[in-house]
Amino acid sequence: MASLGGSSSSSTEYIVRVPKNTSKKYSIMAFNSGDKVNCSSWTQARMERDMSNRRMYGVEETEEGAAGSEFGKKQREEARRKKFGIVTREFKVEDQPWILKVNGKAGKRFKGTKKGGVTENASYYIFTQCPDGAFEAFPVNGWYNFVPQAKHRTLTAEEAEEEWGRRNKVVNHFSIMLQRRLREQERGPDDDDEEGEKGGKKKKKKGGRGGDLRIHDLEDDLELSSDESDSSGGEDGDSKPKKKEGDVKGKGKKKKKKRGSDSEANEDSDDGDFEGLEVDYMSDESSSEEEAGEEKAKSNKEAVPKGIDEASESEEESEEEKQNEEEGKEEEEEEEGKKTPVQTKKKRDSSGESDTSEDSDIDGEAASALFMKKRTPPKRGGGRGSGGSSRTGSRPGTPSIDSASTSNTLRAAASKLEQGKRHVVGGSSESPAAKRLKMESSSTAVTTQSPAPSGKSTPQPPSGKSTPQPPSGKSTPSSSDVQLTEEAVRRYLIRKPMTTKDLLKKFQTKRTGLSSEQTVNVLAQILKRLNPERKNVNDKMHFYLTE
Amino acid sequence: MSEKGEVDLTGAKQNTGVWLVKVPKYLSQQWAKASGRGEVGKLRIGKNQGKAEVEFTLNEDLTMIDGLGDKPSGVQAPRDHPFTMQTVGGQTLAVFTETQSESSKDRISLEGLVVQRAECRPAASENYMKLKRLQIEELSKPVRLSQQLEKAVTTNYKPVANHSYNLEYDRKKKDEGKRARADKQQVLDMLFSAFEKHQYYNIKDLVDVTKQPVSYLKEILRDIGIYNVKGTHKNTWELKPEYRHYQGGEEEKETDD
Repeated sequence: MASLGGSSSSSTEYIVRVPKNTSKKYSIMAFNSGDKVNCSSWTQARMERDMSNRRMYGVEETEEGAAGSEFGKKQREEARRKKFGIVTREFKVEDQPWILKVNGKAGKRFKGTKKGGVTENASYYIFTQCPDGAFEAFPVNGWYNFVPQAKHRTLTAEEAEEEWGRRNKVVNHFSIMLQRRLREQERGPDDDDEEGEKGGKKKKKKGGRGGDLRIHDLEDDLELSSDESDSSGGEDGDSKPKKKEGDVKGKGKKKKKKRGSDSEANEDSDDGDFEGLEVDYMSDESSSEEEAGEEKAKSNKEAVPKGIDEASESEEESEEEKQNEEEGKEEEEEEEGKKTPVQTKKKRDSSGESDTSEDSDIDGEAASALFMKKRTPPKRGGGRGSGGSSRTGSRPGTPSIDSASTSNTLRAAASKLEQGKRHVVGGSSESPAAKRLKMESSSTAVTTQSPAPSGKSTPQPPSGKSTPQPPSGKSTPSSSDVQLTEEAVRRYLIRKPMTTKDLLKKFQTKRTGLSSEQTVNVLAQILKRLNPERKNVNDKMHFYLTE
Repeated sequence: MSEKGEVDLTGAKQNTGVWLVKVPKYLSQQWAKASGRGEVGKLRIGKNQGKAEVEFTLNEDLTMIDGLGDKPSGVQAPRDHPFTMQTVGGQTLAVFTETQSESSKDRISLEGLVVQRAECRPAASENYMKLKRLQIEELSKPVRLSQQLEKAVTTNYKPVANHSYNLEYDRKKKDEGKRARADKQQVLDMLFSAFEKHQYYNIKDLVDVTKQPVSYLKEILRDIGIYNVKGTHKNTWELKPEYRHYQGGEEEKETDD
């Protein structure tokens, strides 16, 4: 090093070396300043290539050998690809992104993607100063931009769009993720059945609600099952959607379910839909709740003895079930301060029948939602009252806040009925979700009723199925909330005159599982059989029945 | 290896500071030609009235630029390169290395953090201009070139009585001869073992495998297999259900004739 002394400037000279034969390959790890990464604070780090993009060419296709495979299939596929000029890019390990894990499993995770075009026109060198004062320059082999990976759950694009569309209606945004998790659990491996409390607890992020009501009490289930059957006829889909709405508070699963059902069902029940609703104040209604509970139980817990109907329903209603679960949970929460898993189970059990269960589930959920909010209704007879209120809340179709007060009351009534049917033991905690004020008001309405319906032996989980289901209603709808049966159509037509369009709306394809053509055909047949009377209202042909 | 993936964090802990310098392509090419210990030049860092001045001077022996085809062009690389210093703000840049030794122990280690960024610029000089001119000339040459030929090309596609390939094929066919009908039991054995490997077979492939005449083979197949127009365009043969056993170990059912 030669030091030159200058008058106003002083400079030192250093020799620059470019070492030739290093086996080390230098790369740049770039972090964004917003991430506030401090490398010196890392205690340990692990980094490896992210091989998730590697496709085992040829192995991608499922079977290899034996059943299902054809002779020479691989060659034929390859020849076919060549013929069409499909070029599959080679998998280069050096171009794959890095996965960097800092500070062990609980620490941060980063993903480093290679930046292209770095070494095209200019080369980067790293100058390090050696102990002997000279500089050593190493060429940079690659530049990787590292971004932190989110550990929390995120919504997918479709879900995000959905939620965006509902942002004006949703009060409790926390419930969104909660519901999603619930939904995932629902669909997830069934061996997750310990969903019992643990599941619930884990899932419930907000409010730290403990005990998700998943615990399932065999006895209760059995008891409940005896009751259910009746009813659920309830208001078919209407009540259900409403209940979903009620599930706003994000009360753990219950809420989520409701919300889930909300999004799932997507039934926009217009306000006018519920005008003609008649509430059946029958003691049997509890069964619908139970059914709802059962449904939930079905989906949630395998351990719960499932009726055949339940089993058949389970597929279709995963959403419903979720709702049910939520309802159950909500109820439990309400009643036991979130430690009552039983209710959900009970509900499930009781709803041996699937058909109404959906309805009841929703009702129950709504009920729970309501209850969640209020927490006031003590465990009265299974919190019917709360059930009612929550039910109102949980109506899926209606935006949580929008439910008209009239509907609320009606729904509350319906939910009460439901509750009556529900076997859920554990009582009142049902509607955790009901956070709406409306619910509260409705709950008052419901409260009066709650003591009344107590048809079922076991106390119904308030939130249970809030949908009021006519006790006699459909006992065995195989699936979906709304079964396109003659009985259902008759019920509708008795209640109020409806146009064919209205009827079709009631039996939405999503609910019944039939295609729109099939629905039309079946509906036409049913109408032919019923031969309802016609009258013209507002230039539209309405059907109605008088009994 | 448990070691694999473990990052050596000594550099980060010591907060070793390095410089990231952007160097023009021709300069890095010259550096690659360095001999011996790899000395390429000198770096002078000076403080001129409070401002840091950094300049890199290329060694004399490295200034010969190779033109096309590694022959020396008449251009010399400029020697003086002032560095433009920049800050690293907005990004945290770390440097990590991957070492791959013969024992295939890939070690990743963090060498340090970038504290200063710089750009190496050539001082504007006659040499540099000439160098640039040379580069531009090279780049502007078109990749494809049209060239006129003096004579017509006559070395391809001469008419031939029979192509050599064809002759070979005919000879092969003659040698193979017509396929003989083997014993039915043997054929069945062959078929079953073939179907053990794959479920669906094209008739041509089966003929290939068993080396039997088509009609004979078809008769046998009609006994033990079914022909399905599977929905996929090939029409394939598969064993009858009672002969199949495609779970784990395969069982063969043989007919005793």
